[in-house]
Amino acid sequence: MGTPETSREPCPDRILDDIGGAFGMGAVGGSAFHFIKGTYNSPKGSRFVGGTQSVSMNAPRTGGSFAVWGGLFSTFDCTMVYLRQKEDPWNSIIAGAATGGFLSMRQGAGAASRSAIFGGVLLALIEGAGIMLNKVLAQPQNMMMEDPGMQGMPGMQGMQGMPGMPGMQGMPGMQGMQMGQMQSQAQIRSESQNQNTASSSSSSSWFGGLFDKKKEEVQPGSESKTEVLESFDAPPVPSFEFK
Amino acid sequence: MAINRSSDHESDENTRLYHPYQNYQVPIKSQYLYKLPTSPEFLFTEESLKQRRSWGENLTFYTGTGYLAGSVAGASAGIFSGIKSFENGDTTKLKINRILNSSGQAGRTWGNRVGIVGLIYAGIESGVVAVTDKDDVWTSVVAGLGTGAVFRAARGVRSAAVAGAFGGIAAGAVVAGKQVFKRYAHI
Repeated sequence: MGTPETSREPCPDRILDDIGGAFGMGAVGGSAFHFIKGTYNSPKGSRFVGGTQSVSMNAPRTGGSFAVWGGLFSTFDCTMVYLRQKEDPWNSIIAGAATGGFLSMRQGAGAASRSAIFGGVLLALIEGAGIMLNKVLAQPQNMMMEDPGMQGMPGMQGMQGMPGMPGMQGMPGMQGMQMGQMQSQAQIRSESQNQNTASSSSSSSWFGGLFDKKKEEVQPGSESKTEVLESFDAPPVPSFEFK
Repeated sequence: MAINRSSDHESDENTRLYHPYQNYQVPIKSQYLYKLPTSPEFLFTEESLKQRRSWGENLTFYTGTGYLAGSVAGASAGIFSGIKSFENGDTTKLKINRILNSSGQAGRTWGNRVGIVGLIYAGIESGVVAVTDKDDVWTSVVAGLGTGAVFRAARGVRSAAVAGAFGGIAAGAVVAGKQVFKRYAHI
């Protein structure tokens, strides 16, 4: 099973990790893809130069698009987690629709509505495939490090009109593994949440003003650990509520 | 219960609280059993000594922070450029369009640049830490030097050398500044 390191970090640190993962995947994957495409389309004798020129022209656009989509998706996802106070597939679906609509707002209300519907349907398909795959796989395998950033990849293809990426084939599997991990390791997630919050306090102060309520919830948990019990009663039973 | 117990203690002076371990010289005090540790518990002590992010977390953190900082800074500068480029007779829609175009362009450009620098730096730093198995100022200097060299490699050997030197000096200055900050500003 996966260690706490491979589970997604709590909000708002997740936003930074998702931007980094999406940009890394878009830049590196886009560079590889466009190099192969440029090499294929170049005449014999100047394939390497054609490949490097294609990478220089197209890789920044690919990386930037992935980063913007991943960052916005994660921001909306954290907003839904904050508003609804629960984590389930509906958060991702609403975040996908909001991201698609927001990125197409300058093209008018009609285009924004269509992009929002498309984003929501796409995320619904991803979540549905993940849930079905989770039922098939009783024991999900270990996950890759950059898994959170992969959620933005199919939306990128639909929204920006880019060609398909070779790495997309593993998307439902990754999603299913992640869903299985989320359902079967709520306790580990809560433990990793405390660790990540404590270990990355410098970065959480960046977005700290937006999520005051979540910070207040973490502090009572930490206070109960240091509480000195003077009577002979048993220590308080830890709460396993998963939010 | 506590109030009731204390009132009993005050009223009946002939009684005392029962202590089951009174006649036994046990080394373990009962109070110690309920003092839970506040730090995370590690199975091996070596794990607690090493305090750093894994290579994946390092990669996503540096890249995400860099891209976000570059995008926000570029978009802010682009807003001012857009305002400066207003012309006479511009309608509100045209003004908004100028601002959005300028901030979007600058934000994407600077976000890509800083994000790529963060990506290369994280990769090289993780590689150096894995090879040398230690993490200090010189690790960051080597990572900065490699980052600058790789970032400007396409523009020629001389430009790569200058960028590498600048990157090494900048990384060393940042790490030294951080250590000084930690020493004198107790946050």
